[in-house]
Amino acid sequence: MGDFIKHPFVDMPDRNPEQVIPNDQLVFTSEEKKQIQTWVSHYPTADGAVMRALWLAQEKFSFLPPEVIKLVAAEIGIPYANAYGVATFYTQYFKEKKGKHVLDVCTCFSCQLCGGYDMLHYIENKLGVHKGETTKDGLFTIQEAECLGACGSAPMLQITNGPFVHNLNKDKVDALLDALREGKVPAFTSVTLPQDEDEMGGNRRTDVSSVESYIVPPISETVS
Amino acid sequence: MPNITVDNETLEFDGRPRLLQLCLETGVDLPHFCYHPAMSAPANCRQCLVEVGTPQINRETGKPNLDENGQPIIQFMPKLQTSCSMDASDGMVVRTHKSSELVKRAQKDNLEFLLINHPLDCPICDQAGHCPLQNQTYKHGPEGSRFEFRKVSKPKQIDLGPRVVLDGERCINCTRCIRFTDEISESHQLTIIERGVRNYPMTPPGVEFDEPYSMNVIDICPVGALTSKDSRFRARTWEMSKTASISTVNARGSNCYYWVKDNKIVEITPRTNMDVNEYWLADEDRLDYRIFNDNRPLGPTISGADVNWDAAYKAVADCLKGAKGDRVQFLGSAFATVEDNYLLSKLATAVGASTPMYLTHTEAGRGDTWLRTDDRTPNSQGCERLGFQPANRSALRSLIQSGGLDVLYVLEDDPVASGLCSAEDLAGVKVVLHYYNSTNQTLPAADVAIPAATAVETVGTLVNDQGHAQRLRPAKSIAGVNRTLSMEIGKCRADRHGTPFDKWYDESNLINCQPGWVSIPRIASDLNIEMNYKGPRNIMAELSSANDAFAGATYEAMGEFGVRLSEIGVTA
Ligand code: SF4
Ligand code: FES
Ligand code: FES
Repeated sequence: MGDFIKHPFVDMPDRNPEQVIPNDQLVFTSEEKKQIQTWVSHYPTADGAVMRALWLAQEKFSFLPPEVIKLVAAEIGIPYANAYGVATFYTQYFKEKKGKHVLDVCTCFSCQLCGGYDMLHYIENKLGVHKGETTKDGLFTIQEAECLGACGSAPMLQITNGPFVHNLNKDKVDALLDALREGKVPAFTSVTLPQDEDEMGGNRRTDVSSVESYIVPPISETVS
Repeated sequence: MPNITVDNETLEFDGRPRLLQLCLETGVDLPHFCYHPAMSAPANCRQCLVEVGTPQINRETGKPNLDENGQPIIQFMPKLQTSCSMDASDGMVVRTHKSSELVKRAQKDNLEFLLINHPLDCPICDQAGHCPLQNQTYKHGPEGSRFEFRKVSKPKQIDLGPRVVLDGERCINCTRCIRFTDEISESHQLTIIERGVRNYPMTPPGVEFDEPYSMNVIDICPVGALTSKDSRFRARTWEMSKTASISTVNARGSNCYYWVKDNKIVEITPRTNMDVNEYWLADEDRLDYRIFNDNRPLGPTISGADVNWDAAYKAVADCLKGAKGDRVQFLGSAFATVEDNYLLSKLATAVGASTPMYLTHTEAGRGDTWLRTDDRTPNSQGCERLGFQPANRSALRSLIQSGGLDVLYVLEDDPVASGLCSAEDLAGVKVVLHYYNSTNQTLPAADVAIPAATAVETVGTLVNDQGHAQRLRPAKSIAGVNRTLSMEIGKCRADRHGTPFDKWYDESNLINCQPGWVSIPRIASDLNIEMNYKGPRNIMAELSSANDAFAGATYEAMGEFGVRLSEIGVTA
């Protein structure tokens, strides 16, 4: 966002892009269709199912080029334009091809104060690409994210719309990237809800026993 | 009758009107952008905020609690409400900016927000002068902006489709255009893309905004974000005069405004008539105006040579004088007004010819179930109601080719272009032609050619395909005529803001032509035929009492919105 305030330019999407997914692959299996129709049946109008159907499509095709959005719209029976509007609204829907692992590094308030930008820049340096870019080997895309709702364990990042990695520090980032290179995606660790805190001895982490850093929260190198 | 109180005034209502609509209809001017009476109210612009209270109801008795004066106690909602999305209910009390400082402040602050990323370059914007955002900012907005950062730059000058151009920066994301394509035209070609400060309307990839009603979004856009590719930046709104009339491109006769600058039609926009076209106008109705401006005749001609009007009328009279009635064929016109066709039929009767026929002009597939019709003429129903039959083309063609006709009298049509016969076929026939454009293909075969006033230069009546009789009003003046055209137009016409600038008084681009109700009586008088009318108003008055098919269609009754004629006499 910081860059956007200084350079507030909004680009046009390509209005006539080349099709990237060939027609013969551009189909849902009968199970997928069934699944989508079940979702459709859960809502009073079919457009209620658009988000889950887009999600399913993104998992299948790894991203959502226009032809996939069109396929989803046709499958649930809503106008293509509506599905396209929804897909562009959410940054978690990838409109272009990304790396195998998308690292969403939070740089919103809490994370920023606790060193979110340090983490972002550390990863950028380490992988040799800027945010918004994908490494040459196609393994990683780095992105800057707004608050992902885990401020309690700031700074943090999210891996490909999935697991959170909390309380980032350099060592943790090193270990994470190594693990991801080996194809090991960390397990999802949730954030404890306030009402469960007592049970957890005042901790907000389900994995508190395995996390050293929580006891001594990481402090940004620039904040001391 | 249920009522609500707005700023201490009581308004009565029926049914369940939306609060904003009720206020607007009763003359309470509430600012708003996203609301449109024909569409759903998403309440996203936040400009129509008001304070709303309802009577406090006693739970036990179900009756309103009363204060010490016996008046119901009004409970105001804790927050301001969007009047566009709220139904009026009995006893409701509303405070607008006229009585509430809070509402006033909300309107002002909301405008400041709307203007944060909106370019403040009204002087170069095509919408300036008829822009709801500009007007409301003048009325209710802040004096200046406190926004110190760079405004967001969005795509500009984007062709959404062949006829609509987008300036993304001016858009305030009211979604009117989106809702039009979703709810009204149902083409679903537009959506808002992206989010937050980055959003603006766009077509999805691979889609063009090319539906046949696309230009309606230009009219409903409350800012200058959507403009007409055809007419953008051609004239400022205050340089034009507008005339309430009807479109003549198809048989529906959608109500429209003709915008005129220097006696040229610049633009055509819709005019609300709930009985005909509601708020909308098809794209085809807007784009065919060049026939009114270009390739217009310079004056009457005899065998191609320029003559004065008197000579031309006399020549027509000479053509008809010697001819035997059964060897004269009159062709009425579905492009011409009821009045002109009626006079033509009187002329035909007086010279002993049969009732005029008319040429149909239909294009299968052009019509839809909305405002477009296969019939490409504005008045075939009017011809039918006058008892004219569509010409049997092949019979008429053989009659012409076999030398069975001495005179063919054509009112405002083009038999050659429409394929009735070739110009050579007409060599042995005396042809009298009233015509609009010098591109008329019958013109080379015409013995006497009379330039005719087009729909934007005449006064008259057209009957649409549903039997709705409506008036044409002259939008621009013609040469050589008292410019008030039989008092049918005021001497001074108001511009958009009601200022009586006289846009008529412009000597440029005056076309040397005559309406049929001027030329036909002149020809009749050269033939010593009685045809005395003060003007089209009297012609219609006579016709509406003499012919059941036009009963009730007086100028007074037709007014601005026309009258629906009864089914009598409908043969089509
Ligand atoms: S382009 Fe105009 S009509 Fe469409 S959303 Fe923007 S402001 Fe509203
Ligand atoms: S600020 Fe980073 S998760 Fe909330
Ligand atoms: S008109 Fe009510 S919120 Fe826009």
